[in-house]
Amino acid sequence: MYSGKAKDVKIYENNKVKLIFRDSISAFDGEKKDIIQGKGEANCRMSAKLFEILNEYGIRTHYHSMLDNNTLICDKVEIIPVEVVCRNVTAGSFCRRYGVTQGLELLPPVIEFFYKDDELYDPLVTQEVAIQLEWMTKKEVMLMKAVTRAVNTILVELFDMISLQLVDFKLEFGRTHDGRIIVADEISGDSMRLWDKETGEVKDKDRYRKDMGDVIQHYNDVYDKLSKLSKLPELSLSTKAQVIVKLKKTVLDPAGEVTLRSLNRMNYQEIDNVRLGKHVFVNCLTAPSSELLKNLNDMSEKLFSNPLIEDYSIDLWFEEER
Amino acid sequence: MKIGITKFPGTNNEQDVTRVLNCLNVENELLYPRDYRKLKDFDALILAGGFSYGDYLRAGVVAARTSLIDELHDFIISEKFVLGICNGFQMLCEANYLPGVLTTNTSTRFISKWVNIKVNKTNSPLLKGLESKVLRIPIAHYEGNYYNTEASIKQLKDNSQIAFQYCNEKKVVESMSNPNGSIANIAGIVNDKGNVLGMMPHPERSSFHYLGSIDGRSIFENLIEELKC
Repeated sequence: MYSGKAKDVKIYENNKVKLIFRDSISAFDGEKKDIIQGKGEANCRMSAKLFEILNEYGIRTHYHSMLDNNTLICDKVEIIPVEVVCRNVTAGSFCRRYGVTQGLELLPPVIEFFYKDDELYDPLVTQEVAIQLEWMTKKEVMLMKAVTRAVNTILVELFDMISLQLVDFKLEFGRTHDGRIIVADEISGDSMRLWDKETGEVKDKDRYRKDMGDVIQHYNDVYDKLSKLSKLPELSLSTKAQVIVKLKKTVLDPAGEVTLRSLNRMNYQEIDNVRLGKHVFVNCLTAPSSELLKNLNDMSEKLFSNPLIEDYSIDLWFEEER
Repeated sequence: MKIGITKFPGTNNEQDVTRVLNCLNVENELLYPRDYRKLKDFDALILAGGFSYGDYLRAGVVAARTSLIDELHDFIISEKFVLGICNGFQMLCEANYLPGVLTTNTSTRFISKWVNIKVNKTNSPLLKGLESKVLRIPIAHYEGNYYNTEASIKQLKDNSQIAFQYCNEKKVVESMSNPNGSIANIAGIVNDKGNVLGMMPHPERSSFHYLGSIDGRSIFENLIEELKC
């Protein structure tokens, strides 16, 4: 069905696919390429492990099960052509692009978008451009950012338990046949930077990029340490949302008119229209997801607004609590 | 024969309604939000006015999402009578048992005063004998501005569902007599079957001579008459 730089995707049953991890490894948009024995298996089981953990926290992913050592069964999705990168500490292309030194802490973590196209060298892309070029919708951007921040919170705490610092990572998202946005692709040593908290030793794909050697040994070391964890970090994830309810343009807003007249009396003559609306802040005790957004839509339609006279808009985000 | 009167937190007109029903010798009982299972024991329901749940969010909407008002669905389907007064009318609209919505008065003021309303011809037995009369009746509300789409207003007119319109003493429906900005001076409407009536004015406050008018009393008398047959 599809063959990428490190994985193949094959049709499975019931809207599912097989995600087959190969031993190939590449860097710098495919310019450096190699085969490393056991790499497919290492990334396959690491992805399965991390997807399982994310699922525990209510993050919706494409992962279903592991079929064999290098195959995952996943939901069939249409991959959104924009990668989301989340950075806790400066490294890699961020340092080159902005001329900053490696190792600076970024608080709150920074989120960047990259357009998936090797020929263009995966360029950094702004939200506005990605929406304009229809690579993703405004709603999808909002969800992808919130989910990425939630995933970051989980992974930072998780790796902290095995004394590793999550420097940065990349997520890909997919659209399901019923229109949900879920985390897709892989989450492994190939898609993140991990540094040992004590020694600063590199435990990720930078070992390959910088020819440091022992790539698989370090991937497997991270996996083994994760496997030995007896419990997961105690986190209570919550998603914030705000709903703005506005009177429709065709409906008279007496309160807005009174406010306008008051402004005019205060000598703000340049204003000719004031509309007052309502602001509803909602704290949701779940991780961000398409389902949550749908529930918020229902709440807005059934309670927060009266569709006859009012329109509403929903903003949803995830805040790191540290 | 027993009539229920709803009492939500913030409802403050239930005693006035009780007084009228007692005076007309009808058994009646207050119904609280959790009493929805009792609904089947009643022959008619009056949603009394006030400020249910502080009228937070929108007037009547929080009450409209309670089990009691949810259960009203079957009650209405079975063609039992429901009368929503003021906040009760707002609940019926927010619950979609009546079309439209009551929004802020154009004056942005709470209006408490006597008005005249013209009774139109409808299929509702609650308005029997009142057609084309003018009732002198008080209003007291902040959100009494009836709003609906042009198409729905036309439909209400065509189906003879506009029960009451604000008018002058000479029965002329004109903008000067419109206290709150309601489209087509609408003060009350009925559903298509005629068993649900919602109105902003207070018939219970115009049911005794000592209150200054008995024009509202006929609506309760009609209701009781209907329940007898």
